[in-house]
Amino acid sequence: MRIGIVCPYAFDVPGGVQFHVRDLAEFFLAEGHEVRVLAPVDDPDAELPAYVTSCGRAVPVRYNGSVARLTFGPVTSSRVSRWLEDGDFDVLHLHEPITPSASLMALWASTEPVVATFHTSNLRSRAMHAANPLLRPSTEKIRARIAVSEEARRTVRRHLGGDAYIIPNGVDTSRFRPDGATTRWSGTPARPVLAFLGRIDEPRKGLAVILAAMPGILDALPGVRLVVAGPGDVEEISAGLDPRVRAATEFLGAVSEDDKVALLRSADLYVAPHTGGESFGIVLVEAMAAGAPVLASDLEAFTAVLGDGPAGRTFPNGDSAALGEAVVGLVGDPEERARLRELGLRRARSFDWNVVAQRVMAVYETVIEGADHSPVESALRSGLLGRLRWPTRGEA
Amino acid sequence: MTDIDVLQVATIVALVLLAVAWYLSYSASRLDRLHAKVEGAVSALDAQLVRRAEATLELATSGAVDPATSLLLADAASEALERHTHHPLSHDPLDGQTFAGREGTETNLTEALRAVLAEDTVQDLRRDPDSPGALALARVESTALRVQLARRFHNDAVREVRRVRAKAVVRLFRLAGHAALPQPVDLDDELPPSVLD
Repeated sequence: MRIGIVCPYAFDVPGGVQFHVRDLAEFFLAEGHEVRVLAPVDDPDAELPAYVTSCGRAVPVRYNGSVARLTFGPVTSSRVSRWLEDGDFDVLHLHEPITPSASLMALWASTEPVVATFHTSNLRSRAMHAANPLLRPSTEKIRARIAVSEEARRTVRRHLGGDAYIIPNGVDTSRFRPDGATTRWSGTPARPVLAFLGRIDEPRKGLAVILAAMPGILDALPGVRLVVAGPGDVEEISAGLDPRVRAATEFLGAVSEDDKVALLRSADLYVAPHTGGESFGIVLVEAMAAGAPVLASDLEAFTAVLGDGPAGRTFPNGDSAALGEAVVGLVGDPEERARLRELGLRRARSFDWNVVAQRVMAVYETVIEGADHSPVESALRSGLLGRLRWPTRGEA
Repeated sequence: MTDIDVLQVATIVALVLLAVAWYLSYSASRLDRLHAKVEGAVSALDAQLVRRAEATLELATSGAVDPATSLLLADAASEALERHTHHPLSHDPLDGQTFAGREGTETNLTEALRAVLAEDTVQDLRRDPDSPGALALARVESTALRVQLARRFHNDAVREVRRVRAKAVVRLFRLAGHAALPQPVDLDDELPPSVLD
C-alpha cells in the first residue's frame, strides 16, 4: 500500500505528534508498505530519515494559545501539491488537519481518500468558529476520523460535529520489558522505592501532591525512598521540605532514557500524581510495560489508559491524604502489587505499536474500500465550476 | 447619464447572477461529493458485514467449537448472509442507504458472537495459532473491527450530507435532486471484551 502521512509540526523538533508520525511510518515501512512523510523542517541541515520530505522551514507562530512551529504560504503549497503528485498515494493520513500548516494544505489539495488523526484536546473554539464555514468543505473530504484519546474525540465532536474512532498512541513496549536486573533503585522490603517522573517545577506534574503526602507515608514506612526523575531547580524545591522528607527523597534531575526505563523496572510503585494537562497517559503505559505497579490520580486520560480492570490504582486528583493512604496500603501488600503488575503488563500490550498500527491499517483498508465504491468521484472533478472550489493537483 | 446607470445596474445584476450561479453549482457538486462518500461508505460497510458473517460461518464449521456453539453461530451468520442476498445494495445504491432493515439480523449476529466468545473459549481457540479455529477467530476479530470502523465512518458521512441538505438554499433549489435522504445505520457492533486484547 502507498501511504502518505503529513505531520504539521517541524519534524526535527521533538514532540508527541512528531514521534507518533515517525513510529507509525517506521512500523508500516517495516511491514513492507511504501510510506512517505511530509513535514516542515526547522533546520535545513538536519539529518532526516529517507522517507521524510520537507515542505519548507517552520516558523514559530502563536497559535491556539502556545507557540507552534508551523509552515504555510505559497512555497509550502506548491511543495505539498508536488509531493502528493509524486507520491500517488492509496491513502493520505493527515495529523491535526485543522492546524494552519501542511496537513490543512494537503487536505485542501487532496484527491485521494483521507484519514485524519486528531491529537489536540484543547482547541480554542474562537478560531474554530471563525474558520468553520471556510473549513467545512475541506473537512468533508475526510473519510475517517481518528482521535488519540477520549478528550481529543470530544474536541472533534464539539468543533466539527460527528464522531471519531479512538485509536490510542502507540508505545514501543518491548523497550520497557522487565529484565529482572537489580539497579541502584531496586527496592527492598525495608527500603521500598516510589518512583516519580516529570518536571519538578511544573505544578501539573503533581510533585507537590506526593511531597505533601510524604510525612504521613514516612510515619507508616520509615524506610521509604522517593526517587524523583525530572529536570527543574532542586534547590528551590528541597529548601522548603521537612528534613525527614528531604532525607527520604532522591532528586536525579533529567535522566537518560535508559535510566528512566531502569527506574520504572526497579520501582516498587510508580506514582503519577498529575493534576491536569495530560491528554494521553503515555507515561502510565511505559510504567505498566516495565512492570511497575501504577498508582495515579484519577484524571480521565489516566483512567482510560488503566482500563476497566483497572490495571492500576487511582486516587482523587490532588488529594495528598488519599495518595498517602494508597501508597502505604500498596507497599504493605506485595500480593496486590504483584496482581497489578501482571494486569499492567497485559494492559500495556494493547498499546503496543503492533496492536495500534494494525488498527490504523484497518482504518486505511476500510477507507480505501469505500473510496473504490464511490461512483461519481471522477465525473465530479471534471466540472469547471467544481474546480474553482476543489482545485485538483497542479492547479492549487 | 441614464445610459451609464443602466449599464452599471446591468453589470451588477449580471455579477450577482453569476455569483449565485457559481454558488449553486458549487453547493450541488459539494452535495454530490458527499452523497458519493456515503455510497462508498455504505458499500464498504456492506462488504465488511458479509465478510464478518462468512468468517463466523467459517468458525462455526471449523470443528474447533462444540456443536451447540457451532449451531448458534451458523444460524445467526447464515441469516445475515441470506438477508444480504435478498436485499443486495447494488440494486438500488441510494435507496440502499436505508440499509434495508438488515440492522436486526446483524445485531443478532453480534449478540451471538458476544455470547459465544467468552474469555475461556477465546483462550482455548487461540492455544494453537495455526489451527483452523484460531485462524477463523482471527478473521472474525478483524472483520468485526472493520464493521465497527465502516459503520462509524458511514454515519459520519450521513451526518455531513444531512447537515448540508438541511440548508435553505439546498432545499429551495432542490439541489439534492431525487437522491434519498441517507439514514444512519444503527446496529450493535460491539466486540466481545475477550477479543479486544
